[in-house]
Amino acid sequence: MVVLRGGMCPGLDEDLVRGLRAVDIKTVEDLVSSDIEELAQKCSVSYKALFAIRRVLLAQHTAFPVSGADLYEELLSSTAILSTGNPSLDKVLDSGLYTGEITELSGGPGSGKSQVCFGVAVHIAYHLKQSVIFIDTTGGLTARRLLQMLQAETNNTEEQMEALQRIHIFRLFDVFSLLDCLYGLRSGRLQQASVGGGSVKAVILDSVSAVISPLLGGKQNDGMSLMIQVAGVLKTMAKDFNVAALVTNHVTRSGSGELQPGLGVSWSHIPRTRILLERVEEATAVSHSSLRSATLIKSSRQGGTTRLLRIHSQIQLGDTLWAWLSSSGSASVCVAEAAS
Amino acid sequence: MQRPVYSLDLSPGLRLKLVRAGFRFTADLLDLQPAQLNAEAGLSQQEALEVLQSVRSERGGDEGGSLTALELLQKEEEDLRNIVTFCSQLDSILGGGLPVGKTTEICGAPGVGKTQLCLQLAVDVQVPQCFGGVGGQVIYIDTEGGFMLQRVVDIAAAAVRHCSLLVEDDEQRVAMETFTMETILSNMFLVRCHDYVELLAELHLLPDFLSEHPSVRLLVIDSVAFPFRRHFDELSQRTRLLNGLAQQLITMATSREIAVVITNQMTTQLRGSQSQLVPALGENWGHAPTTRLLLYWAGPQRLAAIFKSAGHMDSTVQYQITSEGFRDADQSEQPQRKRPRTHSIQSAASQRDSSC
Ligand SMILES: Nc1ncnc2c1ncn2[C@@H]1O[C@H](COP(=O)(O)OP(=O)(O)OP(=O)(O)O)[C@@H](O)[C@H]1O
Ligand SMILES: [Mg+2]
Repeated sequence: MVVLRGGMCPGLDEDLVRGLRAVDIKTVEDLVSSDIEELAQKCSVSYKALFAIRRVLLAQHTAFPVSGADLYEELLSSTAILSTGNPSLDKVLDSGLYTGEITELSGGPGSGKSQVCFGVAVHIAYHLKQSVIFIDTTGGLTARRLLQMLQAETNNTEEQMEALQRIHIFRLFDVFSLLDCLYGLRSGRLQQASVGGGSVKAVILDSVSAVISPLLGGKQNDGMSLMIQVAGVLKTMAKDFNVAALVTNHVTRSGSGELQPGLGVSWSHIPRTRILLERVEEATAVSHSSLRSATLIKSSRQGGTTRLLRIHSQIQLGDTLWAWLSSSGSASVCVAEAAS
Repeated sequence: MQRPVYSLDLSPGLRLKLVRAGFRFTADLLDLQPAQLNAEAGLSQQEALEVLQSVRSERGGDEGGSLTALELLQKEEEDLRNIVTFCSQLDSILGGGLPVGKTTEICGAPGVGKTQLCLQLAVDVQVPQCFGGVGGQVIYIDTEGGFMLQRVVDIAAAAVRHCSLLVEDDEQRVAMETFTMETILSNMFLVRCHDYVELLAELHLLPDFLSEHPSVRLLVIDSVAFPFRRHFDELSQRTRLLNGLAQQLITMATSREIAVVITNQMTTQLRGSQSQLVPALGENWGHAPTTRLLLYWAGPQRLAAIFKSAGHMDSTVQYQITSEGFRDADQSEQPQRKRPRTHSIQSAASQRDSSC
């Protein structure tokens, strides 16, 4: 029996050891045999960090049996980065959407969340020739809009139709239907969607808050546990199938009037990367600006720690589509960029 | 990963009973009989059936409502036609009229024409298909008491005249026989709701009503704001109810293929030292409708603006309200005239040409 100590392996510091002890994980054996996902939630540390620690511990203490499943998981965990098709947005996202992770777009009404989701779906289906699952919980998705974006990419109808066929749409509007859908995907339907075209590379959920927020507030607390369910299944799905999960979220205003992503603290640990989208102009009711800003507000890529960054980038919505989707890329604008 | 019992669509109490009895995952329940559940978890026969049904329907393995974007495109093109507004400019920025299968919110100050547009749409949705219409019925939920029958009669008469002037073939001639004032009025189902409880109750009953009346293509709620702007001490409660209502509306719009039109009032918002007019019901409500329209005055002109749409660019057009209803702004005449009393059939007909 080996007791866990800080510094025993990279990433395992005193704080984490204390946190683990608090939930009764005292030895290497405890850690290795526990459910990493659950543990990550309990100690609110990133799944990836814990996973990495476990991997190192396993290697250091080879007496522990390693299950085939673990090895398989490792095999799959080779991360891919999917470009969003928008250079400015890719820059904010540190190259694009990472498979195996959850990326969140938050923003007020009309801030462009759905447009980005449509653009990403079209980009993956057309340029990367891979399949996408699109779960629409707000009714915002129309195939016409997707087609419109595709038409700006290619005049070839055959190619347009092929791309449309790679986008698999679920339209559901309550949390239980969502859970049914996610568990269904998780238990194999995800691979079925790959039939007849590239494999599924992304699962887009627009929006997660639409189905959760009717259950929050007031005296209800059922919403919380359902939210955690959604988070859990999304996370393991992203991980196990090595797909990028992209979700959208509403915003709330803090006391000082600053916008922040909705759904509270417990949800805030779920996405690895959070982007805030805003209209660039002061939102008078009838300004018709197509300019939006994207701000990175959370990124936990380096070393598994959460950093608060504010990287701004501006993106432009085109006449018929997001201008940045044009294949030349020339229409894309990156007006301002600053890191602080 | 197994699916926890907690994620099933069951009442919280029922879920708790299952978990207490040691059933953690749906797989634990899959092969059970109701009697076993009764013995082991103390569920009633009714509860046991409910549990097993929800476990099995989840396993059913149907396609779970998935379709490809190509299939959706075909559906949109064949089944989901737009409802023309009779204001061709507004139709064109909306991509051919008000979208069926989506929710649209009309915001604006009192008297700017929200109810007028609703009444117009309640008539327009009935325009026969051979005239480019939808040929459907309408449910009109009035929460403000603003529904005016006489106004509907005027608008309907004008619409009938429009179409009768357009008749070209036998199909249209036959269609006109059932596109009359009488049928128009009898295809409108009017509901008066006095407070939010009545409204929520009505919406709860609506799916059954829609099953019995499959030709309904439009649901109007004029307005959502009125019943929800009063009687709420706790704002979080209101937000939760409104969020639920939004999901209910889009569910109905999608599954029944109806257009949902709701109206909203305006309120002043203080941001720093500036105050501005914004739609009521809070910022969060803005996510709810697929499309948001704002009607407002700019000097003597009436303007309609899309200020959020998941599929269309933001843009503004001019409109006017005549005795015949909601129309294009008359470019030849002075737009200052706020409420023109008369309007010739000819000009109405020429507008009709451009609106279809
Ligand atoms: N076809 C189009 N051409 C140009 N701009 C468009 C087009 N369709 C939508 N837009 C722009 O995108 C805006 C809507 O953005 P989007 O649908 O992404 O909002 P959202 O962030 O998803 O909002 P919500 O939370 O309410 O769903 C429109 O108001 C418009 O400015
Ligand atoms: Mg949206």
